[in-house]
Amino acid sequence: MDIAVLVKASLDVNMIKADSEGRILLDSIPLAISEYDRNAVAEAVRIKGELGGRVVAFSVLTWGPADKRAKEIENVMREALALGADEAHVVVDDAILPSDVSVTAETLSNLIKKTGDFGLILAGEGSMDMMSAQLPVRIAYKLGYPVATFARKIDVINGAVKVTRDLEDVLQVVELPLPAVVSVTGEINQPRLPTLLQIRKSFAKPYKAYTISEIGMDTPEKLFPFDDIKLVTVSRKNMIIEGENLEEIAEKLIDKLIEEGVVRV
Amino acid sequence: MKALVIGNKTSHLVDGLGFIQALSSETGVSIEAYGLLYGGGAEETKGFTKIFSMPEASPEAVANTVSKLIEKMTLEMVIAPAEKNGTEILSRVASVYDMPMITEVSGISKAGENTYLERAIMGGRATALYRFKTPMAVTVPAKKFKASESGATPEFEELQVIDGVTKVVEVLPKEKGAVDLEAADVIVGVGRGFKAKDDLAMAFELAELLDGEVGCSRPVAADFKWLGEDRWIGISGKKIRGKLYIAVGISGAPQHIMAASDTKVIVAVNKDKNAPIFTFSDYGVVADLYQFLPVFIKKLKEKKGV
Repeated sequence: MDIAVLVKASLDVNMIKADSEGRILLDSIPLAISEYDRNAVAEAVRIKGELGGRVVAFSVLTWGPADKRAKEIENVMREALALGADEAHVVVDDAILPSDVSVTAETLSNLIKKTGDFGLILAGEGSMDMMSAQLPVRIAYKLGYPVATFARKIDVINGAVKVTRDLEDVLQVVELPLPAVVSVTGEINQPRLPTLLQIRKSFAKPYKAYTISEIGMDTPEKLFPFDDIKLVTVSRKNMIIEGENLEEIAEKLIDKLIEEGVVRV
Repeated sequence: MKALVIGNKTSHLVDGLGFIQALSSETGVSIEAYGLLYGGGAEETKGFTKIFSMPEASPEAVANTVSKLIEKMTLEMVIAPAEKNGTEILSRVASVYDMPMITEVSGISKAGENTYLERAIMGGRATALYRFKTPMAVTVPAKKFKASESGATPEFEELQVIDGVTKVVEVLPKEKGAVDLEAADVIVGVGRGFKAKDDLAMAFELAELLDGEVGCSRPVAADFKWLGEDRWIGISGKKIRGKLYIAVGISGAPQHIMAASDTKVIVAVNKDKNAPIFTFSDYGVVADLYQFLPVFIKKLKEKKGV
């Protein structure tokens, strides 16, 4: 059974850049593999180990400009390949940038359909940058497949998949017929860092980038693009409590907390 | 305009009603509120025209039932709790009708003629604004929008479940203590700065002195397994919104900071003066926690006279 795994080249949230007026410089923030997608790749590779088949990684560039980002998304996909995916296919096209969830879902589902038949499509529960957590479901509906989200355990048995969903208060075990889409949480496994050998090997694996016309798409209309992105200005006091010794620091801190009304003595 | 609020607890309906009232006052559009409770009884919540109820079911079956209702009643908005089941159900409904869906709305703002829905992105470091238009699906965090429960008493109607292919095989309890971080006023957070599980006793002592709870960063729950996941503060863990958060030996990963950002006062104790947590704190103490905590606890006891 072949497994598709969806990987996002996410804005690296640890590398956010803004100008002196606090405007976020989206084009200058580097892309990195979205955290939970590493779990999805690792899970796909684990299932492949049990059932055989290929693991194919898919992505759509969602942040522009395309010419500058083409190499960055390739690096992200090389990481997915180093983690054990067998090949990678991506769409890089200025016509959809910056993409919204609906266009990303439309583009990914077309790319997947064009590439092959997959018994299971895995994705991270949400992306590091936008965290809207709805893409796996939107793709499933576009493909006409059943879907389960927030999996912390996946068992494939006899043409079906048993998914343990990690809900806030309980674990809900659901069963779906294959082919199916499943989103995974960060708790499903602990992906290992790829070894140097795996990284080197990843460059020999097939990687293909398409434009939207190459996968048979016209420029789609965005359903709900964001209108603006603003830097959150931290309104914290950022006061480092200093003193001659720890006793003095502790006393000053306690006084501050009493002043704030958050500690009572 | 008609809006449907779904959820499996009465509090979900109240949270959604709060959002509807806030949106209505920003836009000047009057919105008629309908509710749908899946699982759990339909309690009377004033402010709703009608509350539908259905038995507990898979997210797919709930979504099918909601989709049918949208068609029948020409609903223009659907609102769900910003938790995992709410997110899946609403993503399904949004997919069926190709509707925009704004996950976890944190605020409503106006600029000129337009009303915008805001949500936190990039680990809480940025806010994205989306122009409000209908139809639209929205997930709403707990207690974010205060509702006034007044007006007519709702009618009730039971709905038939429209099943799908998803089978719920079993529901298992989660390993859980009696900790409810989301309701705690004071939380002492522990991170990788602690070298051994036994050392957490200091944090528990401090939390007890402050009538608080102990929470933790991801490695302490997920990697070291020193504490249960019910104590894990993070986007995928618990989101806290108390009066005081004291982060001890926590460097401050974006997911952790975002989940604590609704706290009134944040204190950080870390020996690394460059730790990101200080940027997100009101008060910082640059010190080794092993030296500072005993002194802090001793001074607190003196002040409290215990």
